[in-house]
Amino acid sequence: MPVVELNINRIRKLVTGKTTRKQIIETLPFLGLDIEHEDGDKIRVEYSPNRPDYSTEFGISLGLQGLLRIKKGIQKINIKKKGKSIIKVDSSVTKIRPYVTGVLAKNGTLDSDDIQQLMWMQEDLHDGIGRKRKKSSIGLHDADKISFPLTYTTTSREHKFVPLNNNTEQTINEILSSTDQGQNYEWVIENAKNVPIIIDSEKNTISFPPIINSALTTVTPKTKNILVEVTGIDKDSVEDALSIVISTLQMAGFEFEELKISGNKNSTPQLKSRHIDYDTKFTSEILGIEMSPSNMITSLKKCRLDATIAGKKIKCIIPRYRFDIFGPMDLVEEIALGYGIENLEPKLSPSITIGEKNDVTVKTNIITKTAVGLGLLEVLNSSLTSKKILYELTKRNSSEMISVLDSKSQEHTILRDSLLSGLLENLSKNIHESYPQKLFETGVVFSKGKPIRESINLAVIIAHKDTNFSEIKSILQSILRTQFKIDCKTKTSSNNQALFVKGRNADIYINNEKIGHIGEIHTEILDNFRIRTSVVGFEINLSGLIFD
Amino acid sequence: MSQIFHEIEKKIINSLQKKLEQTPEQLSESTELSIDQIRRGIEWLRLKGLAQVNESSKVTISLGKNGIDAFKNGLPERKLMELIKDTPKTFDDVRTMLSGVGFNAAIANAKKNGWIKIDKTDSGTKISTKEKPVETPEEKLILFIGEGTISEKQIENKLALKFLLERPDYLIQSTQKIKIITLTEKASQIDTTLSDSGAIDVEADAALVYAARTHPLKDTIDEIREIFVKLGFSEIQGALTQSSFWNFDALFTPQDHPARELQDTFYIENVKSENHASSTQIKEVSKSHSQNWHYDWKLSESQKMVLRTHTTCATIRYLAEQKPDQARIFSLGRVFRNEKVSYKHLVEFNQIEGIVIGNNTTLRDLMGIQKEFYKQLGLTKIKFWPTFFPYTEPSLQTMVYNEKLGKWIELFGMGIFRSEVTKPLGIDKPVLAWGGGIERIAMLKYELDDVREFYNNNLNWLRSV
Repeated sequence: MPVVELNINRIRKLVTGKTTRKQIIETLPFLGLDIEHEDGDKIRVEYSPNRPDYSTEFGISLGLQGLLRIKKGIQKINIKKKGKSIIKVDSSVTKIRPYVTGVLAKNGTLDSDDIQQLMWMQEDLHDGIGRKRKKSSIGLHDADKISFPLTYTTTSREHKFVPLNNNTEQTINEILSSTDQGQNYEWVIENAKNVPIIIDSEKNTISFPPIINSALTTVTPKTKNILVEVTGIDKDSVEDALSIVISTLQMAGFEFEELKISGNKNSTPQLKSRHIDYDTKFTSEILGIEMSPSNMITSLKKCRLDATIAGKKIKCIIPRYRFDIFGPMDLVEEIALGYGIENLEPKLSPSITIGEKNDVTVKTNIITKTAVGLGLLEVLNSSLTSKKILYELTKRNSSEMISVLDSKSQEHTILRDSLLSGLLENLSKNIHESYPQKLFETGVVFSKGKPIRESINLAVIIAHKDTNFSEIKSILQSILRTQFKIDCKTKTSSNNQALFVKGRNADIYINNEKIGHIGEIHTEILDNFRIRTSVVGFEINLSGLIFD
Repeated sequence: MSQIFHEIEKKIINSLQKKLEQTPEQLSESTELSIDQIRRGIEWLRLKGLAQVNESSKVTISLGKNGIDAFKNGLPERKLMELIKDTPKTFDDVRTMLSGVGFNAAIANAKKNGWIKIDKTDSGTKISTKEKPVETPEEKLILFIGEGTISEKQIENKLALKFLLERPDYLIQSTQKIKIITLTEKASQIDTTLSDSGAIDVEADAALVYAARTHPLKDTIDEIREIFVKLGFSEIQGALTQSSFWNFDALFTPQDHPARELQDTFYIENVKSENHASSTQIKEVSKSHSQNWHYDWKLSESQKMVLRTHTTCATIRYLAEQKPDQARIFSLGRVFRNEKVSYKHLVEFNQIEGIVIGNNTTLRDLMGIQKEFYKQLGLTKIKFWPTFFPYTEPSLQTMVYNEKLGKWIELFGMGIFRSEVTKPLGIDKPVLAWGGGIERIAMLKYELDDVREFYNNNLNWLRSV
């Protein structure tokens, strides 16, 4: 979940009205924001990835105004139409990054904290809806350094300009190999011969999307007018991102002027709100509360939406930046948030169904009880383990190994096909604890099938200096005879496994079907696990035996 | 004081009460116990503060080879005097009769004692008695030592000892470390005959044995399962390996969603799922994605096998296949996340998820079930906060107040399945869903700070928790 850092005093200023610190801290969770850390005036909150409008103090303040009843309804955004500034789109971008949009934000002021907030927002939008800058990426520029019209086109990799946070000209190739942004996002443009570029009428490079802006147009506390440009491969994602930036800059005190976009698949952004007709019966059906339509409207407005009564329905107006709203279910949630989750009274309706445990659970629990009765201690190991423990130390055949891709943990790379290896590892980690050690585990093991077969196994292991085959066989017989009345046979194993001592291991059969193996663990294997006492064990497959 | 003693302890006490200071060897002799039993008994008594062990060293003297000969036959000088008692004898005669080293020593010492005179004559040097030889202190000492071993302290004539020690192989002098056992004052009063003959020391510590038991996490899992059953939920099972279709696509998670990336989800190498869903299900899910998320949904992406990231894939599949009008169902088991293992994250943990379909399926009903669930767990101070899950709307999370930590802790999540999830699968009723991780609750119960402890299988912890 993305995180944003807030300053309470700045929030109080943005929210306006006489809000206290306490009110703000108590209201944040009801916007769906999880307070992660509180340190004086600084608060770090986690926001949901479907609400990128909460990626700044500005967006969060907009939400707080609603719940705190300071300002309700849709945020007013005036975009002056028929602006003179233009972005012309060259058809050469079609194959690599076809879409561009933008706006001019004018007559605002930003301090360094504001700029920091905008930078964080940009990164979160890039990672989230921008899908790591592939679908969309944003550039903010000091508009007064730019000579319009702009051209969005492509250029060769030898093209030179001074990139952001640099003093010297670099070629595209140099930027890709020497800057952090170049290294992190080069994958987006892959091996394209020509790359996207935005150039102004003086032939100055403004931006090399989606990698880096030019140093020329850096936004500073002196910036009054901002050019916002968004490029990408998905027109919706590009306009979604622009709508968030506009809502945020509106809250930061900017005015807007339309930017004309022309050429190849592109057009001037509309940024229109939409409406959904909401059937009022949903409120009682879904939330379980009776509410008048006018109360529903008030609740929606507290969530910074607009709504009017239209016959038996409510016509709900949704601003462009609320692209997380799909349909009526989302509006029900908005009504609940506006009404206040804390005002919803939990209601316990009697169950008309009778609960039952699954057969597998019931029977595994019987096995567990018997095992404990026989003096065995239960352990739990991960299903994901390492090749070393599962195959190498136990000298087992790894030809049917099932691996996962790109595990972040070396110890969790292979799906286990046996429990005994894990139990040996448990003994290995407990050699300093007193003996006898008698352990068991029941759990899922995996094998190749169509596509993967899962079954539940039981394994038992006993370690102490006097243990032997007879002791473990007694346990095996007892576990299956108790409750299940199953008699098993052990037959001299035809293929000797390296895991066991030769002549002291057997296959376990029930009605001529092999269900597992049993034996004294070979000293070489014990050495591998640094175990210095005698060990015996067995493992059987319970699936198909006591449950399906 | 009535104290219970072991037979060994009684015998040692009795013996020491008769003879105050004894070595372990002496005790072994006097009690007829083996030296090992004596050592054990002394240790027990010492720990009880009834016996003291003093270690000291002791020098002993016994006769050597020549000493034993002198004890039996007299010193060489005495033998010489016997030879010349009646007539003087020549050197050569005497040398033949007193062979070897004995001769030189006999002449030298007899001369030193002033017993003989030596005259040179024509027929050779002759030795004759000068004075009647009286018993010397050395001879007395040899008789005193005899064939035994005596303490050096017992020898009064230190000069005689010195002389004899200078002569070869007459005396063996050795230093021994010895343990002297004595009773403490308390023990010297004890009457061992008083204790009841059948009684044992019931106050003494016994050896520790460890009870076999189920794993603590399993206990919590069972407790939670019982509560679900009590609330009318029936358990269903689902595979841990799932197609991306059921784990993600059926739950309205777009194919380019960050949660589906390799760095969050375990994909199984070289395994592709087939026949996991009907062609209608695939068609409808594909349509829902394309219409709402505006992208080209790919079948191949949905066939990738994953280790399930939640139990919801089991419940949604049950709903899609059974289409019950009314049901309370739950699924419990392991889920997987490709994360770095830390004190708060595991790659594999347990999750439970319950769903309700049918009547009484409002958000307030869902909150009511939660409240009752936590009440059964003994948690009464709870509240609800809004949250976000990709496949439910509205979505809430429960916050539970932990008295010990003095703060609110996020536990189970809940919500109503989005129609974008249910409709393509032919489910036309609202479905409530709720659940969460079990380890979190178990950590509170066992007061653990590190979730890894559950899977470390540290016997010291498992045997003591």
